This record gives sequence, structure tokens and C-alpha cells, in this order.
Amino acid sequence: MEFWRKIMNIDRRWVYLLIALSVTFPMIVVIKFPVEVTPVARQLYDAIDKLPDSSVVMLTFDYYPNAAAETEPMSIAALHHMFKKDMRVVTLSNIPLGGPTIAERITREIAAEYDKVYGVDYVNLGYKANYNAVMHGLANSIESIFPSDYTNTPLKDLPLMDSVKNYDDIGFIYVVADNATVDYWIQIVNAQYGVPIGSGVTAVVAPKMYSFVNSGQMTGLLGGMKGAAEYEKMVGEEGKAIRGMDAQSMAHLAIIFLVILGNIGFFATRKKEGKES
Amino acid sequence: MEGISFLEHFQLWLRAYLILSLFSFLYRDNRFYRLSEHIFAGLSAGYYVGLIWQTVIIQQLVNPMVDNGEWWLVFPGLLGVLMFTRLIPKWSWVSRVSLAFVIGNTAGIYLISSLHGLILPQMLSTMNAVNTDGSFSSILLALVVIIGVISTLVYFYFSKEHKGILGVTARVGIWFIMIAFGAHFGYTVMARVSLLIGRVQFLYYDWGASIRQIF
Amino acid sequence: MKKTVPVVVAFLAGFVMVISFFFNTEQIMNWLSVTFGMDSLHGKTMEGFVLQWVTIVSGFTLVLGVFSIVRVNARAVAKKSEGWFYKLLTVVSVFAMAIPAMLPVSKDTVGGKIVFGIFPDSWRALFGTGPTSIYDWLFTYLDQPMMETMFAMLAFFIASAAYRAFRARNAEATLLLLTAVIVMLWRVPMGEAFLRLFSDSLPNYIDLFIMNGFNVAVQRGIIIGAALGAASMSLRIMLGIERTYMGKG
Repeated sequence: MEFWRKIMNIDRRWVYLLIALSVTFPMIVVIKFPVEVTPVARQLYDAIDKLPDSSVVMLTFDYYPNAAAETEPMSIAALHHMFKKDMRVVTLSNIPLGGPTIAERITREIAAEYDKVYGVDYVNLGYKANYNAVMHGLANSIESIFPSDYTNTPLKDLPLMDSVKNYDDIGFIYVVADNATVDYWIQIVNAQYGVPIGSGVTAVVAPKMYSFVNSGQMTGLLGGMKGAAEYEKMVGEEGKAIRGMDAQSMAHLAIIFLVILGNIGFFATRKKEGKES
Repeated sequence: MEGISFLEHFQLWLRAYLILSLFSFLYRDNRFYRLSEHIFAGLSAGYYVGLIWQTVIIQQLVNPMVDNGEWWLVFPGLLGVLMFTRLIPKWSWVSRVSLAFVIGNTAGIYLISSLHGLILPQMLSTMNAVNTDGSFSSILLALVVIIGVISTLVYFYFSKEHKGILGVTARVGIWFIMIAFGAHFGYTVMARVSLLIGRVQFLYYDWGASIRQIF
Repeated sequence: MKKTVPVVVAFLAGFVMVISFFFNTEQIMNWLSVTFGMDSLHGKTMEGFVLQWVTIVSGFTLVLGVFSIVRVNARAVAKKSEGWFYKLLTVVSVFAMAIPAMLPVSKDTVGGKIVFGIFPDSWRALFGTGPTSIYDWLFTYLDQPMMETMFAMLAFFIASAAYRAFRARNAEATLLLLTAVIVMLWRVPMGEAFLRLFSDSLPNYIDLFIMNGFNVAVQRGIIIGAALGAASMSLRIMLGIERTYMGKG
């Protein structure tokens, strides 16, 4: 009884240490369980894969930097997929804190691997405030909302934007997000303008997105780091997500162990307290 | 990560210091944590200023007015500047016009998008769930979805007391909600752990490469 | 007047979006373009015109909060109240990030001529928000790592909370707990391999019935309920019934 009381009242820093070790250990001892692809992730991959090679795809960086561990591998894998298919990519961000900076850095990094030319093969529009207004405004004219790109180059000076005026010229919108902006892409852009949308979201947001996939409003979904790992596997570019899966597995097992231990202790102490009273 | 330059070493060690100083809070509050926390708050606030200056003031106002003669943009610019009267108690009522413009526009967007883009498609999909392929699992799935949607909506209907048939339906709704929230909790745990994995990956692989190269 | 004008503005700004759903407003804009001789209105829609204004005005709201932060912290520094040194760091950080970003990158503008009269031309790459700027560097090597770390700490807190508070006190809580454990196992390769020991189709059934069944049903119910609330609130705002956004007075 005393044992269980001590277990139940253990200093929380021991719990923190257990989690830290469970995440670090698999990086030293690599096991690499195979990553199985879920149907919703496959659906997103196939949607991009089926597009004609020279299609224009919009990739949105709608995530805050704090979610980068989950969403950055998704963006990177998506860019690999699009550039491998010689797609032309237009990126933008609806997140004022860090979104356009991250979009600029990642897109240029990946584009350089495929010798893609800025302004011809890809453009980063940057950020404009009020995502509802941005999403609606792009339907009429991209240039009315984004007169220039993130680096202040007028859109009329970018050859790619000669043929991309509004949503009619965009084949697919790939939203990478950690918040409710995905909802608005669906309910404004997909519902009113018919542009097909797929998304990679953080695991917190993913359960809600299943409703949109189920209703056909969204074509495919990546959920969290596991979703990113699935996409990396399909694209054939192993990155941080696949490498993080062992650590994810160990941490989940550690938390499940803690939950079970906590409940055993709860029932053990409750039973004893019941007898004593 | 071969041949790391001095600048890259510096950048790696700087990031490692910031990460470890923030993690030190897990042991206990200390000045290293507070130092990093306050710098973080300031940098984040400063980021907004730089971004809005470039993306709104320069790209959406100055350049179109100067280069393309779109002089009427002075009106939204003025509306934006009037927003700052909110900071002056005597003149804060002036900012209401700017706020009303933005909020009214957003309300108009939401009125249509929530009906056309959310309610109708989701209801349609629920009704279409009855179109199964005849297999046991698809019929079961359809029942789960239809009963689940109805019972969840009933559970969140608080205008009438949950008694009788309403009470039974709400009770069923609770069971469905517990399962869904359990799934949501599992995903949330995954999300939080992933963020930690990202940091540990940086410390182990990137900072670790710098340490190995130096020592 | 102080209350009426904002209500009218809110209604008109929203009404444009509602009618644009039902009517093509491009013809109205073309007529205005011809009548008032404004060529740049030609080919635009009414809502496109209004939305352009909305994005501009909305941008200023983001900076409003920064003014408050600087004002509050600067006052604390001036009074030398407790923790003033940390607040000074906050204020310095705001300016360290904002000022280089606001400096011009081109010598062709009026501001550029003044700035590059003071600073050497080679410093041009450090200004603005481009990839080589101070702004970008501070964000990438200071702000972003700290932001990521702040949220990474949640992993520890959620583990501690799960250990201390996640109890199977009753049937509903047990159901929630069991589902959470099953999903936590399903979402990781090691756990999925473990589940496949029981049945090869078990992960597929979890995906089908838990995520695409129970989860979709409940999320859908919540989405419909929330959307009904959003629609009614939007209508109240547009009709001037809801005025809390105006503040006091």
C-alpha cells in the first residue's frame, strides 16, 4: 500500500526522464519497424501522382514553427513529389508567425536539388493577412491579393504567374497545416470554387479531417509524423519522419505503461482506502 | 554533415543552447530559461512588425500607389491606421469602423461558407451513408455513422432537458463521444511526442555532428 | 453615430460577400469602371475589390498587439519594477527584429537613398525580410528553435498528466482510455506490428470503425453544430444584433 502511494506521488521529473529516455534511446539503437501506408495517405499520394506532369499545384505552409517537427517533413516530401513530376509549384502561407519565411527556405532548398528555376518552376507568394479574405480573393485574381511575391518581385515579372491568374489555373491545392485554416480551404475554396484539396495536418487536427475525407470534400490526408513517414515512404525519400518512428513507438509504449501503472496504483490505493474506512 | 563551417558550428551551438535552456525549466525555473523566454517573446512580436511592413505597407499600399497609380488604396490604408486609435481610450470608438469592416466581411464569408461548405456537404454525406455495397462491414459502418451523428447532435442540444427518448439518445451519444475523444487523445499524445522527437533529433544528429567534428 | 456607422459598415461589408455568392458582380464593377473612368476596376468583381481592402486593414490588427507589448514592457523598465531586465530584453528583441526588416533593400526609393547614404551598399542583403537578412537569421536561428522547444515541452506535461489524471473511474472513462491506448498502438509501427499478431486485419478494422466510423460520426456532429452556431453568429453580427466586437461605450 505504501509502495503504491509512493508510486502515485512520485516526483514528476522522473516521468519526464522516462519520456526523454524513451525518445532518445531509439536514436542510438535503431530498430526500424516498417511503416505501413494508410488508405487516406495513399489517396493523397495518388491524387498528386495522377495529375499531368506540368500541372500547377498550390502548396500552402499554413503551420506555425512549433509544429514543424510534424509538418515540415510533409512539406519536404510533397515538394520532392511535385518536383520529381516536373510540376510547377506556387507556395503561400496564411500564418503570420514564420509561415512565409519557412516556405521560402524549404522551397528553395528542395528546388535546388532538382535544378528548378525560381519564377519559372516555382514561386513563393508569401503572406497576406486575413486568410478568409485571401482564400476568396485568389478566386478572382491572385495579383489583386498578392501584387508581388515574398521577395517583393512584382508578379508580372515572374513567367510562371503569366499562366496562373486564379484558381482555374491551379490543378490541386496541397494544404500543410496545424490549425483550422484547413477547414476554411475546404468550406470556401473547395465548396465554392471546386478546387480539389488534400492536406497534411498535425495529429491534433487529423481526427476532424476524417469527416472531410469521408464526405469527399478532401482528397487524402496525412496525420502527424506517422502520416509524414507514410508520404516519405511513398515518394521514396527517407527523412526525419521515418527516422522518428522508432522514437514515436517507444514514447507511446512508455505513456501506455504510465497510464496502466497509474490506474493499477489508483485501484490498489482506492481498494485499500475503502477497506480502511 | 561533413565540413561544417565556423558559422554553422556557431548556429548549431546557439540553437542547442536555446533548446537546453528552455528544457531546463523541466527541472526547475531558472534565469537561463527566463532569459530565453523573454527574448523569444520579443522576437516573435518583432516578426509581426517586419512582416506587416513588407507585405502590407510596401507591397499592398506603397508600391501599387507609387508604381501603378492606384491612389484609392489610401482609403484602406487609412482604415488600417485608424485601428490604432484603439490604444487611445478617448478615441477608441474610431477604431470601431475598421473593426466592423473586417468583422462584417468575415461574418458574410462565414454565413455562406458554414452553410454551403460545412453543414450541407456533411449532412449529405451522412444521408449518403445508406448507400452501402451490401457487405456486413459497410452496413455496420453506415449504422455507426448515422446513429453517431444523430446522437452526438442530440447530446449537444441543451435547450431541452435530456429526458425520455432525448435522454436515451444523448446517452448513446456519450458513448460515441467517448470513443471519438479517446481516439483524439491518442492522436494528441502522438502530436506532442512528435514535437519532442523533432528537438531530440536536432540535438542528437545536428548538434551531435558538430560535437563529433570539434572533439 | 458612434454605434450606427460601424453597424452599417459591418452589414455592407458582409452583404457584398453574400450577394457575390448568388450574383456575378463583375458587370457592376465594369459599369463603375466606365462611369468613373477607373480602368483598374475593369474585370474585377465587387467582392474581389472589397477583399483586397480587407487584407490591407487586417494586417494592421496584427501590429496592434505589438504596440501593447512594447508599451507595457517599456513602462516596467522605466519604473525598474521586478524583472525589469528581462522586460528590457523583450523590448530590445522587438526592435532588433523589426528595424532591419523595415529598412529598404533598394537604393531607388526615397528611403533607400537616405539609408544607403548612411550604411554601406554591401549591407543591402541584411535588410528587409529576404533569405540573407538579419530578420530571416534571427527567426531561423533564435525564434523558431525556441518556439519548437516551448511546444516540445508539452510531451512531458501530457505524459505526466496521463500518469496522474487518466483514470478509469467509470465506464465512459474506461471506454475513452481503452480507445486512446488502441489508437496510440495503431499509430506507431511497433504498435501496429503488435496488433497484427492478433489479426492481420486488426489495424484495418481500427482505421475503418474507430477513425472512419465513431470518430467521423462524432466529428461530423460537432462540425454541424459548430457551423450552425457560426452561421447564426454571423447573421447576428451582420444585422447589428451582436455588437460585442465594438467594445465598451
